[in-house]
Amino acid sequence: MSEQRRYKQLASTRALKKTMTRYYALSSYHRFWGKPLRRPLAWVTSGAPVELLRSFNIHPVYPEQYGAICSTNKATAGLCQVAEAAGYSQDLCSYATSHIGSVMQPALAPMNGLPKPDLLLACNNICGTVLKWYEALARHFNIPLFVVDTPFLPDQLTDHARAYVLEQLKDITASLERLTGRRLDREKLAECVALSNEVVTLWKEIREFCRARPSPLNGPDLFIHMAPIVVLRGTRQAVNYYRILRDEVQKRVEQGVSAIEGEKIRLVWDNIAIWSNLFKFFKMFSERGACFVTDTYTGGWVMELAPGDPMESLATTYTSIFLNRSPEFRARQIIDLVKEYNADGFVMHSNRSCKPYSLVQEVIRKRVMQETGVPGLVVEADMADPRSYAEEPVRNRVQAFLETLS
Amino acid sequence: MSSLDKSFTGCEPLNLLLEEAALNGARREERYPEKTFFGFMCSYMPEELVLAAGMEPLRLLPTSIQGAPAELPAYCCSLAKGNLSLAKSGSFKNLAGVGFAHTCDTMQCLGGIWKEAIDRNNTLFIVPPVILNAPGAARYYYVEAKNLLARLGELAGREPGDEDLQNALELNRKIRGLAKELDELRPQLPSHLVSALLRAGQVMPRREYAATLERVLPFLKQKAAGPGNRHPVLVSGPVLENDSLFGMVEELGGRVVADDTCTGYRHYVEPQIPGTGNDPLKAIISRYIEMPICPSRNRGLETRMDYLERLAKERRARAAIIIVRKYCDPHAWDSVPVAKRLRAAGLQVLVLELEGAEAGGQERTRLQAFLESL
Ligand code: SF4
Ligand code: SF4
Repeated sequence: MSEQRRYKQLASTRALKKTMTRYYALSSYHRFWGKPLRRPLAWVTSGAPVELLRSFNIHPVYPEQYGAICSTNKATAGLCQVAEAAGYSQDLCSYATSHIGSVMQPALAPMNGLPKPDLLLACNNICGTVLKWYEALARHFNIPLFVVDTPFLPDQLTDHARAYVLEQLKDITASLERLTGRRLDREKLAECVALSNEVVTLWKEIREFCRARPSPLNGPDLFIHMAPIVVLRGTRQAVNYYRILRDEVQKRVEQGVSAIEGEKIRLVWDNIAIWSNLFKFFKMFSERGACFVTDTYTGGWVMELAPGDPMESLATTYTSIFLNRSPEFRARQIIDLVKEYNADGFVMHSNRSCKPYSLVQEVIRKRVMQETGVPGLVVEADMADPRSYAEEPVRNRVQAFLETLS
Repeated sequence: MSSLDKSFTGCEPLNLLLEEAALNGARREERYPEKTFFGFMCSYMPEELVLAAGMEPLRLLPTSIQGAPAELPAYCCSLAKGNLSLAKSGSFKNLAGVGFAHTCDTMQCLGGIWKEAIDRNNTLFIVPPVILNAPGAARYYYVEAKNLLARLGELAGREPGDEDLQNALELNRKIRGLAKELDELRPQLPSHLVSALLRAGQVMPRREYAATLERVLPFLKQKAAGPGNRHPVLVSGPVLENDSLFGMVEELGGRVVADDTCTGYRHYVEPQIPGTGNDPLKAIISRYIEMPICPSRNRGLETRMDYLERLAKERRARAAIIIVRKYCDPHAWDSVPVAKRLRAAGLQVLVLELEGAEAGGQERTRLQAFLESL
C-alpha cells in the first residue's frame, strides 16, 4: 500500500471504507436476516435497473464489483483457473470467469465468495457476456433468472425499443410480486429513483470539480470512490457518503489542492481500470505530473433518471447508457470530455476482457484525435486478470507517450 | 472443397453449386451481372427483406485468416477481422450495402466500425430481440424489420410491398424445404458435400439456387449410399467459411449426420409456426423468432440444449464436435453447458477451438484421436 501514499489520500476514504464494509457485512450475514425479514438476495449486473429490486426490498449484490475486489486481492488468476478447468475459455471476460471460479471454490475467494443468491437479474445494456454468465449461474443454482433485454442502439433510442423494455420491466415486476408475495410499492419505487438521482447528481458534481486546474482528483480516486454508486445506488447511505466526498472535493478546489504533485499533463481515461495493478499503473503517470482528470467508465454512472413515471424513466435511462451506443456516440462523449476538462491527451485501455468496450476503440481514437487534435494512446491489458498485463511494453509505451506531451 | 468420390462427378447442376460454394461470392459480378447484392453476416438478418427489396442477400465470408486490420485488436474473432480486411481491400465495393443483424458484442462493434471506416451511408442495422420470447419481443422485432425494409427500399430505389414480401417468403420457404431434404440425406452423403451445398445457398442468387438444388436432389438421392461403418457425429458451431472441417471428419472415418452451424442447416431450419394471418412480414419475423437459437440469443434456459439433444437422438449421433472460433464469446460460453448436456445424453464430446474454419495440424490430431476413440 506504500504506492497508495503517493496520492494525497482523501479524508473521505475512511467514510468510504465504513460504507463498503457495512454493505459487505450486511450482505455476508444475509443468511441470518434475509429469511426472517422476507428480503431475498439478488445477484445483479452493474447496469441493471436496481431501483426496481430495491422497491421490493430485495438486497442486491454485484458480481462485477466483486470481480474488481478479487483482482485487487490478487485472487483473479487462481479463480479464473478454476473456471478454465471446468471448460470456460481464458478469453472470456475475467469478471465472469473469476466469479464463476469463486462460486465453484469459495475457499479461494475473498470473503469466501459472495452470499448465495435467491434470484438473478441481468441487463444486457453493457454486453452480451452478462447473459451467458447469468445463464450459467441460473443453471448452477437453479434459481430464477430475470433478463432485461435493452436493444443495442445503433442510433437514437426509438419508441419501439423503449416500449419493449418497458413491457419487460412490467413483466418482471409481476414476477417479483409473485416471488416476494408483495405488491409493487409505487411510492417506494419513486423514492428509490429519487435517491438514485440524488446520488447521480452528487457524482456528477464531484466529477465536474475536476475541470479545475489543478484537478482535485486523479483517475484512481474516481475508480475507488465509485464503489458506492455501483452497489448502493438508490439508497440513503450512498447519498450520505457522496455528500461527504463532494464537500471534501469542493474544499480541495477552493483551496487549490491538487490530486497529484505538480499537475502538468491532463488526461482522459477510457475503459475499466487495470485493477490488478491499479496504483502501480497510474503511478507511471502521476510521477511525471500526468493526472487523469476524467474518464468514461466511472462517468457511466452519471445517468439521471428522467422525471415522470419511474418505470418509464428506468426503461429510457437504462437502455441509453453509453456501452449500449454506437462508436459515434462514444467518440462524441470523449471529444466533449477532452474539451470540457481541457485535456492534453487520452489513454485507452484496450481491455481483453471487455469486447464491447474495447473493439471499437481504434475508430474512436482516430476520430477523437481528428476532432480535438490531442493524441491518444492505447495500452493493452485486462481489467482483472494479471496474466494479461505485460509491464515492460506498457511502461515503454506510456513513457514515449508522456514524452511527446511534455 | 476437398476430394469427392468419383461417383459424384458428371452432374452439371451439382458442379455449379460446388463452384459457387468454393467461390463464396467472389466473381459474382461477372457471373450475375444483372444482380445487385447486399451483404450480411448473421443468420438473424431476415433475408426475405433483402429479397423483397429486389436485392440478393450475400453472406460475407472471410477467405482464410486475413491480415489483422488496424481497427480491431488481436483478441477479436477471425470472422470479424477477415471480413473487415476484405472490405478494406475493396472486395465488397460493389455491394449495395451491408446489413448488420445485432448478435454478439463483436458483431455489434463491427457494425459500428464498418459505418465509420467502410461505408457511412449504406451500412444498415437491425437489432433483433435477444430474449426472443420476452413479452413485447415480437412486436419490437416487427417494427425493427419494418424500418429495415424501408431502408432497404431506399437503397434499392423502390418501395417493397406485401406482395414482394410474400414472394420472398415463398421463395425462402421453398429453399428451406429443399435444404431439409438435403439435410435428411446427410447420413448417406459425404459430410463436406452437404456442407458446401448448404453454403452455396447463402452466396448466390436465391432463385438460381432453388432451381439448381431442385435439380440436384434426385441425383443425390440416387447416389446416397449407407454410411457404412462411419462414426455418426453432430457438429455444432459458428460460421464456417469452408468445408475443411467436414472434410476432415470424413477423412478420419466420421460422418456429420447432424449439423448446427450458422452457415449449415441451422440457417435453413423451418420451424412449425402457429398461424400468422396474412401479414407476410409477421410470418417472416415469426420464423426468425422460432428457429433454433444460436448462443447469442435466449428463448428459455434449456431451449438450445434441448434442441441439440433431440437433434443428436433423431440422427443417432454418437459423438459431438463443438466448434469454437478463437475469441468468439457466445460459442465459447455455450460449449460448457452443451458439452455437459450431450455427455449426459451418452454422446462423446469434443470441444475444438479453431482460429478460423480451417483445422490445423494440432486440431487434426485431436480430432483423429477423438474419432478413433469412438
Ligand atoms: S467487463 Fe465488459 S464483458 Fe465483462 S461484464 Fe463488464 S461489460 Fe460485460
Ligand atoms: S458469434 Fe462468434 S464467430 Fe460470430 S461474429 Fe460473434 S464472435 Fe465472431
